[in-house]
Amino acid sequence: MANVTSTAAAPERLQLLRVLGPGHVWALGVGIVLVGEYMGWNFAIGKGGMIAGLVACWVAGLLYTCVAMIDSEVTSTVAAAGGQYAQAKHIVGPLMAFNVGLFLVMAYTMLEAGNAITIGFLLDTVAGMQGHSGLNQQPFIILAVMFLAWLNYRGVLATLTFNFVITAIAFLAIIILFLVVQFGGSNVPLDFSAVAEEPLPYGWVGIIASIHFGLWYYLGIEGTCQAAEEVRSPSRSLPYGTMAGIMTLLIAATLTWYVCSGLIPWEYLGQAGTPLFDAARVTGSTGLMVLLFIGTIFSTLASANGCINDASRAWFSMGRDRYLPIWFGAVHPVYRTPYRSIVFLVPIALIFALGAPLDQVVTFSILSGLLGYTFMSFNMVMFRRKWPLETIKRGYVHPFHPLPAIVLLVLCATAYIAVFLGYGTQLIAMMCFYIVASLWFHFWRYRFVRRGDQFTMPWPRPQGY
Amino acid sequence: MDMWNILEYAAWALSVLFAALMLVDLARVDSTYDNDLLTSSREGEIEATQERHQI
Amino acid sequence: MAYQPPKQGFVAQIVDVVVLLVLTVGALYLPLYLGLAGATKTPNPIENPTWETLNQNVVEQQQWAALGITDPAAANDIVTARFNYDFSWTALIVMAVLVIGYFVMVVRLSDKEYREVIDERFGPKR
Repeated sequence: MANVTSTAAAPERLQLLRVLGPGHVWALGVGIVLVGEYMGWNFAIGKGGMIAGLVACWVAGLLYTCVAMIDSEVTSTVAAAGGQYAQAKHIVGPLMAFNVGLFLVMAYTMLEAGNAITIGFLLDTVAGMQGHSGLNQQPFIILAVMFLAWLNYRGVLATLTFNFVITAIAFLAIIILFLVVQFGGSNVPLDFSAVAEEPLPYGWVGIIASIHFGLWYYLGIEGTCQAAEEVRSPSRSLPYGTMAGIMTLLIAATLTWYVCSGLIPWEYLGQAGTPLFDAARVTGSTGLMVLLFIGTIFSTLASANGCINDASRAWFSMGRDRYLPIWFGAVHPVYRTPYRSIVFLVPIALIFALGAPLDQVVTFSILSGLLGYTFMSFNMVMFRRKWPLETIKRGYVHPFHPLPAIVLLVLCATAYIAVFLGYGTQLIAMMCFYIVASLWFHFWRYRFVRRGDQFTMPWPRPQGY
Repeated sequence: MDMWNILEYAAWALSVLFAALMLVDLARVDSTYDNDLLTSSREGEIEATQERHQI
Repeated sequence: MAYQPPKQGFVAQIVDVVVLLVLTVGALYLPLYLGLAGATKTPNPIENPTWETLNQNVVEQQQWAALGITDPAAANDIVTARFNYDFSWTALIVMAVLVIGYFVMVVRLSDKEYREVIDERFGPKR
């Protein structure tokens, strides 16, 4: 069989296909996230006012810059599908790895469900504008998930090339909107008087509260690590793609805040379903409206697509290590994708997309992401302590250690309080879920795992063990 | 019955089609290939062969 | 001697997956069913709203119009809706204890398991 790699040591081994370059890594990272600019981030303005929205945008930007730096260093050294899951397994330990794997699968599957819900909602809006009320959204939600799952099933190169194209279009749409508005192409001028008149309608607590949705500008950029086993040169492409991704997002987030805050009264913006599309409506230009509608649809599809990719890699890696049944650790012999994991996660995503309200699904996703970032901060410190710089070669070494890790931890603590303001019950319910799942893993599931086999990197013994 | 009704039915049909494509292929692959081969992927092959991380 | 895990039967594998699924769906839907979920804004509409009393200047009025809202009464609820950020310190402390306790528990149990992994992989500690 031509499509089976054989190494000298083992007879026949199926591996994921290694075909991706830095552009695909960028497309995976930015593709998942960019939808946050098209919807969701603006609830930060609702939670704290215009200034709070901008502060949240930059504070969350700082948080994610730390995430990107830390991730780039660790992943350029642990090139394994599952990303942070494999990092946790090598650096902290099996139970942490199981939890991180769950964070990843939950964060991405919930985000995927949220995207599918949004596609249904958008089509319903458009149908309503054309005089067809009461569109049945279900078939469109199911179709979006099925089509993207099928694309993922068929191979990673086509999937992420598709993502690259639609993500680039969605990003360009934001830039074009900014340029047109900036050079006077809008019927209604930009107006920032509310910044002076009502800078902080909730006072300082509003700034903390708004960080909750400030995370939406960037949530998912850490997903680039999931592609580690499929890029041609992981130690170079992953840091490059991730850093380029976070820069793209910082630009897009600031432009989005500027255009939307200037064109839309903040009280409306704070509760809008599709802020960028609304901004285009205010300009009065049909061309911009069409462009931003396409951008919204594309960014949602790109995000759901990347989420399927990432969630299935994490699930697959856990199956491969028998944290979950080994059945999930299978690679398709022709397409070389984790096909069983992809298929299995389809109904899971549909349960949430068809049954739960958008804000619940998204809060669950944000919280799982937040737990993952908290893990990254101490993971980084332990990584440098167990393997100091002179012991193993890293593809990328981030500067100012341990400052990014400390900043990340402080920002995570703030973000927990932000989520707590308004969504405390979900936070507590979810902590209980992860505690019960951890106990289940430690006292039951872990007995099926081979101990020594979990450590797969060719590193020396960690210091202090 | 307007365009949107037709689109609804088309979406249902396409959903079923993509689901069937995946499930049929999954069943075919699982019955054609040996499960040990399918689950033969191992973490760390990249490191073992080309990215040794040695200084 | 390396640890040899027991073989898990097919049915037991399915049971394990179902357990995880039930936990997940439970964590998401339980707060929903108990009606404890979600933060809502409450509108505090004012009497006889005009754009001036709603504190919207001329440019903002044009923006509202472009969004399809020309009547101040229609914007009344949106403009005056506010979150309520009163919270109980007890609940905040419960949350902090849960989050910190969770991470401490996971890291400590992980460390126990991790030592076994390292010993098996690199041989017992010298």
